[in-house]
Amino acid sequence: MSRPDFPVITGIETEYGIVRTDVTSSDPVIESMELIQNYTGSAPWKWNYEEENPSRDARGFYAQGLAQDVEEQEFTRSDHQRFFSFREMKSDRILNNGARFYNDHTHPEYSTPECHGLFDLLLQDRAGVLILRQAKKVREETLGGGAGLRLYKNNTDYHGHSYGCHENYLLPREVPFEQIVSFLLPFVVARTLLIGAGKYTVESSEKTGAVRYQISQRADFMEALIGVDTMHNRPLINSRDEPHASLSRYRRLHLISGDANMSEWQTVMKVGMTRLVLGLLLKDASVPRLALRDPLQAIRQISLGLYEQPLLALESGSPRSAVTILKEYLDVLSTLSHPDPEDRWVMEEWAKALEDFQKDPVLLSDRLDWVAKRELLESFRMDEGLSSDDPWLQSLDLAYHDLDPSDGLFWEMESSGSMRRLTTEDKVRMATLSPPAKGRPRIRTAILHRFGHLVAEAGWERIHFQDRTVIELPLFLYQSEEEMEVIEKRVSSLSDHRQIGALFL
Amino acid sequence: MGNNHDFLNSLFMVSPEQPVSPVSPGRREGKQESPVPRRPDGGREGGDRLRDRMKKVDPNQSERYRQRTGE
Repeated sequence: MSRPDFPVITGIETEYGIVRTDVTSSDPVIESMELIQNYTGSAPWKWNYEEENPSRDARGFYAQGLAQDVEEQEFTRSDHQRFFSFREMKSDRILNNGARFYNDHTHPEYSTPECHGLFDLLLQDRAGVLILRQAKKVREETLGGGAGLRLYKNNTDYHGHSYGCHENYLLPREVPFEQIVSFLLPFVVARTLLIGAGKYTVESSEKTGAVRYQISQRADFMEALIGVDTMHNRPLINSRDEPHASLSRYRRLHLISGDANMSEWQTVMKVGMTRLVLGLLLKDASVPRLALRDPLQAIRQISLGLYEQPLLALESGSPRSAVTILKEYLDVLSTLSHPDPEDRWVMEEWAKALEDFQKDPVLLSDRLDWVAKRELLESFRMDEGLSSDDPWLQSLDLAYHDLDPSDGLFWEMESSGSMRRLTTEDKVRMATLSPPAKGRPRIRTAILHRFGHLVAEAGWERIHFQDRTVIELPLFLYQSEEEMEVIEKRVSSLSDHRQIGALFL
Repeated sequence: MGNNHDFLNSLFMVSPEQPVSPVSPGRREGKQESPVPRRPDGGREGGDRLRDRMKKVDPNQSERYRQRTGE
């Protein structure tokens, strides 16, 4: 099995933290619903839930149910007593850029459209920030009377409740899931070093009571190697088998262990490095035997290791640090040709980041959230004479992730130039309105624009019309931007929605 | 203000190499942009603004912050 030319389509789903600032206790279900419903940038299309089956496991069976902790089970029971329907609670929106915006488990979630390019993905991810800010502004105006909201792009409330930032990678079905797991697992653990958002607490069951800063927001919540669960007993490699495309031809790798990054560099590198490693698998390339003896322990060791990275025990051979493991993957990549300039950019940045880390980790404070935040908090702590367990430090950690451009610490660092910015505001604004240049979202959007008044429901894969016509949306894997433009124009010029299907034959 | 304010300000110093790849290479037009342009200099003023923001943060904000479990 060698599919070197397969374009790995990617996407990012981000659940945001949400809280009212004018009341002592706010209802996250109501606040998430209201936030989304107050977004004025798109029509409220009905989402088609028939495409979803989160219990289907890539290992060839269906899970009996998805796990929740005791507290969340109780909340869920209460949710069922509410006066609104499931659909109202979800409040789904399909946005003009092809993204999905909805209430997922009490968090406003922004799912980027499917992207062929890494920098398209970054623009679409960053567009989510503007979209949430806009919804927040309208919601606050609606509330009036000085009422306010805070939104956070992070993954924890510091009290044991985590919410995710999931990555998606479309792969050919013929790549066996077991092979993906064994190939990817050491990398998924080691990449924590370069993708962590930083967190001023420890929330794992091994918590010692000491307040400590660590690299990853999510490592504490990883409790299994593989599994379909996402809310409890979370796995390093999620086995949910829901490709959002033909089940017989594709699979979607769904990674839930990464952090939500403020840093644009990290957002691109997180997906870019992973896409490259998956590319190795598609090229049948061999990587050194790097199986970790205990991947769950290893990800926590890395996270707590900060600038002094530990050696991690392997199943066989001498222990390796995260730096060494990442370098070994990169070394194999370097032996192959990479025609995509985005891939070459990622490899150059990958090499430079490892070199900088070995030279002086603080050199990465312009790229890595966890390094920037660590240095920021530590300098503030020393200037103010605070002890390391002063609650102010954790509040500053939270403030780093605040979406408000006037209050969030990250935005000041980025606008002042201390954090690298890879996009421009104009391009991000454009990405709130336009889908990526290539692929399925462009046609989904064109159909909704042209025939939206006739649509009953829509999803990632297909559009259902009120007259029961169903349009299957091809992935357009190999079409160029120019070819996509032609298809888009043809959709827009049709007079009858029943003619759409013929365009894709 | 202690010595570490200098470090905070140093976060805003320009380093000689600031790789920025602004947009998808496939969409570039005309002269290819260098994947290694520069970043703006925030300088001491940027450090002061950041410090002001930090001072305004309620020390108990994270203690009050509660969410429900997501995915």
